[in-house]
Amino acid sequence: MNGIIHITPEQLGGGYLLLLIPLSVFLLKKVPIIRETGIAVIRMTVQLIFVGLYLQVVFRLNNPWLNLAWVGIMVGVADFSIIRGCGLRLSRFLFPVFIALAAGTLVPVFVFMGAILQRSNCLDAQYVIPLWGMILGNCLRADIIGLKNFYESLKKDEKLYLQSLAQGATLKEALDPYVREALQASLLPTVASMSTIGLVALPGMMTGVILAGVDPLTAISYQIAIMIAIFSGTTLTVFLALRLTLRRSFNSYGLLDPDVFRTK
Amino acid sequence: MRERERSFPPAVEMKDVTLFYGNRAILRDFNLEVHLGERVLLKGPSGSGKSTVLHCLLGLAVPREGVIRVRGEPVDSRSVWKTRLYLGYVPQEPDLGRGTVRQVLEGPFAFRANEKLRKNLEWIPSLLRRFDLAQELLEKQASTLSGGEKQRVALIGAILLERSVVLLDEASSALDEENKRRVAEYFRETPDLTILAVSHDAAWENFATRTVSLAPAFREESA
Repeated sequence: MNGIIHITPEQLGGGYLLLLIPLSVFLLKKVPIIRETGIAVIRMTVQLIFVGLYLQVVFRLNNPWLNLAWVGIMVGVADFSIIRGCGLRLSRFLFPVFIALAAGTLVPVFVFMGAILQRSNCLDAQYVIPLWGMILGNCLRADIIGLKNFYESLKKDEKLYLQSLAQGATLKEALDPYVREALQASLLPTVASMSTIGLVALPGMMTGVILAGVDPLTAISYQIAIMIAIFSGTTLTVFLALRLTLRRSFNSYGLLDPDVFRTK
Repeated sequence: MRERERSFPPAVEMKDVTLFYGNRAILRDFNLEVHLGERVLLKGPSGSGKSTVLHCLLGLAVPREGVIRVRGEPVDSRSVWKTRLYLGYVPQEPDLGRGTVRQVLEGPFAFRANEKLRKNLEWIPSLLRRFDLAQELLEKQASTLSGGEKQRVALIGAILLERSVVLLDEASSALDEENKRRVAEYFRETPDLTILAVSHDAAWENFATRTVSLAPAFREESA
């Protein structure tokens, strides 16, 4: 197997020509997202250049504290965008969701690094940053679905929820159906992608490992390990996000505090 | 009744209760006492806080001031979980949730507090007959029921939980005259029950032992 082929900036510039296809379709059909697409392409380029340069430094130094700080920033940004994405109040959710995200990513990353890759340095930048990023990206999506589903269902089905309390349910008993539904909604996409993986599309990590010149059997081992890590991480983070936010969201009568939702 | 009043605390009691939703006063210095075995009709124009009175008793609305007791126990953040177990409740336009009617009726018995009442599920066939509902209804999806059927299923649900005080919020508004009569008759024939009913129906006027009128407490105030 050959190693990875390096792409020069000129070669990548040629790649941008492919954008003429969406641009022509948008112009032809007057799809009003040309401006947004332009901004998105520029943002993607700038953000990735920045991350690429930064990671180059991080990989060269390979300092565990610097790696951990970078991971901490990634978790913080994800935390912020989850709460904004759910329409919930930042001040109340920032801390519990941060803990849920940190635990939901830390456990699978360290199992991956320690038990599967058997690295003595669990904070090795080359592994820990991409792995953490992949798991975190999935945790972010799952937390948005889970928290949004949970709090919006409670608001929508308020009458039904209050009826359970009136019928003698404890807080846990009254909330269990909503927790169940939120977990199911947030985890089903990962379950679905596990069951079709390899048939519908070649997964990202496996493709990356193959492009780097590694044989396909090693590539699928990485893919299987990362899928399991993602699935266990998303389950843990959604469960913790729900569990840790509950205490701040309900009063001692079991009533949902309307202040959990962000007001415009 | 006199003797009961002396030896037992009131079934439900509200003393100088003031409750706001935002800046709007819904109840202001509201007082109410319902004694064991009484059937009280709560009347008042819409928006006067009738449903809120029931919510306060259930601890589903928390007043700013005043004292609420159910069977002598205060409805506060600590004991509300216990006082709810004294109360049956049929909400206005009940939402039965998902699942079949049987699942809806069995649902509350999964709660630990109601586990010992599970045998009451045996009453279902006779209650269905009593309220003019077919036995086959049990296997129907609750969401497909008509308004009147939903109300009667919610009533059956409240009866199965065998609470000593039953709070009814417009519990017969979607029923025809015949079924309204059946429901009122059921509660009249069960004298041990204490009833607090919010209703506009004339059928309940004859049935109530006392009527309490609520005047609107509207007054804008800063919270």
